[in-house]
Amino acid sequence: MSERLRIALTKGRLQDQSVELFEAMGLDCTPVRHPGRRLVHAIPNYPLDAVLAKAPDVITYVEHGVCDLGIAGKDTILEQGKSFYEVLDLGFGKCRFALAVKQGTDFYGTYKTRRIATKYPNVARKFFEEKGMDVSIIKIEGSVELAPILDLADAIVDIVETGVTLRENGLIPIEDVAQVSARLIVNTASMKLHKAVIDDFISRCEQELERRR
Amino acid sequence: MAYAINTPEGTRDRLFAECRERRQVQTALTTLFQRRSYAEVSTPEVEFYDLFLQSGNPMPQESMLKIIDRSGKIMVMRPDCTTPIARVAATKLKAVPLPQRLYYDQTVFRSGQEHKGGSSEIAQCGVELIGAAGRKADLEMVAMAVDALRACGLKQFHIELGHVGFFRDLAGRMDMPAEAMEQMRVLIEGKNFAALGDMLEPYAGQSASTALRRLSRLFGGAEVLDEAERLTGGSSALTYLRKLYTELAQAGYGAYIRFDMGLVHQIDYYTGVVFRGYVEGAGDAVLSGGRYDRLVEAFGRRAPATGFAVDVDAVAGCLPSREPPRVKFLVHFGGGELSRALKAVDEHAVGTCELSPCENLDETERLAREKGAGAVLVLEKGTERVVQL
Repeated sequence: MSERLRIALTKGRLQDQSVELFEAMGLDCTPVRHPGRRLVHAIPNYPLDAVLAKAPDVITYVEHGVCDLGIAGKDTILEQGKSFYEVLDLGFGKCRFALAVKQGTDFYGTYKTRRIATKYPNVARKFFEEKGMDVSIIKIEGSVELAPILDLADAIVDIVETGVTLRENGLIPIEDVAQVSARLIVNTASMKLHKAVIDDFISRCEQELERRR
Repeated sequence: MAYAINTPEGTRDRLFAECRERRQVQTALTTLFQRRSYAEVSTPEVEFYDLFLQSGNPMPQESMLKIIDRSGKIMVMRPDCTTPIARVAATKLKAVPLPQRLYYDQTVFRSGQEHKGGSSEIAQCGVELIGAAGRKADLEMVAMAVDALRACGLKQFHIELGHVGFFRDLAGRMDMPAEAMEQMRVLIEGKNFAALGDMLEPYAGQSASTALRRLSRLFGGAEVLDEAERLTGGSSALTYLRKLYTELAQAGYGAYIRFDMGLVHQIDYYTGVVFRGYVEGAGDAVLSGGRYDRLVEAFGRRAPATGFAVDVDAVAGCLPSREPPRVKFLVHFGGGELSRALKAVDEHAVGTCELSPCENLDETERLAREKGAGAVLVLEKGTERVVQL
């Protein structure tokens, strides 16, 4: 196989689990585990080069076709819109994407326009649009839990891993927005132009996912 | 006011090479279209918003650039070329016998998402064959799609065919609420293998469900048609695609043709064969088209039609860049020598020789050195000499 594929992996927690998945598929991931100063990591025993990026950038690289494949969380995919193929749910990186409100408040029982703090303004807007509810959305970059404490917002839309952080800050999740996990995404043109190699990669992924079930 | 000297997001100035490459693609395409007897039409850059609403073209409102005119009507910058041409075919060309072969070379405007690197101005060259239904018209169009990309100088590309009837037929065999049907279509369009499987789990007993589950993977060479046949027991859409393929292969187009049975985008707009062109080097389809038999009727004239558009800049971006011509000569000319000077410029290869505007030879030589030209041609008092630098 002379064609090499390029995959963008989301840095951090998803990165480790992606590498574990690849190793279980038989890929030698030593270059990714010991990156040094390199930015592109060539897998020695498979026609694949890996780059590491922040989640939204993974999507950008795949959409533009500079990476053929990518692994990103469903939360980022929902927020960024999509013009790529989302082929597999990789089953790891699972968490809830939830609406959480201040403990002891009645979120829906008022005519006052609610203020929502979130890192995911598009997801939050769509969620409340579907409910036919007007809310004002405030984009927060860091710890979203802070906004209700400071009385900037009535509720937050955010990912919830254990719920501990929320509880400690007097917030309780009241509704799920979506189920989040890591997804394998593929550029639309690459899928067609490099079908054989991509098919092989996807089926290896599927076999490993099947084994894990 | 500092922003005023920059171009708005999504737009840009194109200089030299970009213009040359764009023009090269446009010339290649329009030459081919003319040779196949297509006639050029040009429609306004601004149209009524309601035109696109009436057309049934599923373009989202937020992707159109809008202007409010003096009477308060909403206008849009042309977001697509086919709808205005369908309007023309149904109105101005009403009395003209069908079929009509039309082509365009125009810009469409779409407001993309911010900071995505997309362009709001998209140069498109495309064709519409209006008033012709059936296999021969589809063959003409698909063959021209291949020839169009070939004419641009591309080598590694595919034209991928699908047929909306294939999905419609399968979906029709399912007992499924409309909402679930749309959810399923979206999953097939997005090739969301796993989610599609899960979604169809409760419908596993129904006859078409196995085929639908496979649908997002049914793309590739002609072997896809065989697998689709096995899975579905055949359908008229499949038979039709196979016929098209046989004839295209006979005509030497086979190597370029691929299939994607999961091509189910804009299913209410397209009515038959749909196709897309993919090129090594472009992250998305560079050519897209298909059969839209109901569009012209939306403007009052029944006329089946098919066509495609090429994204000119996307194609230009896939071509190897060529060296621009370099200036080799400057012409320094004295009084009464204008005609000889111009003749000298016109006789040299394009872009290699230009007039010097300087009054004395020293200045001309300095200018020639600045431009990297190797020589100055001096025309004075009926004589001619070359100063090498």
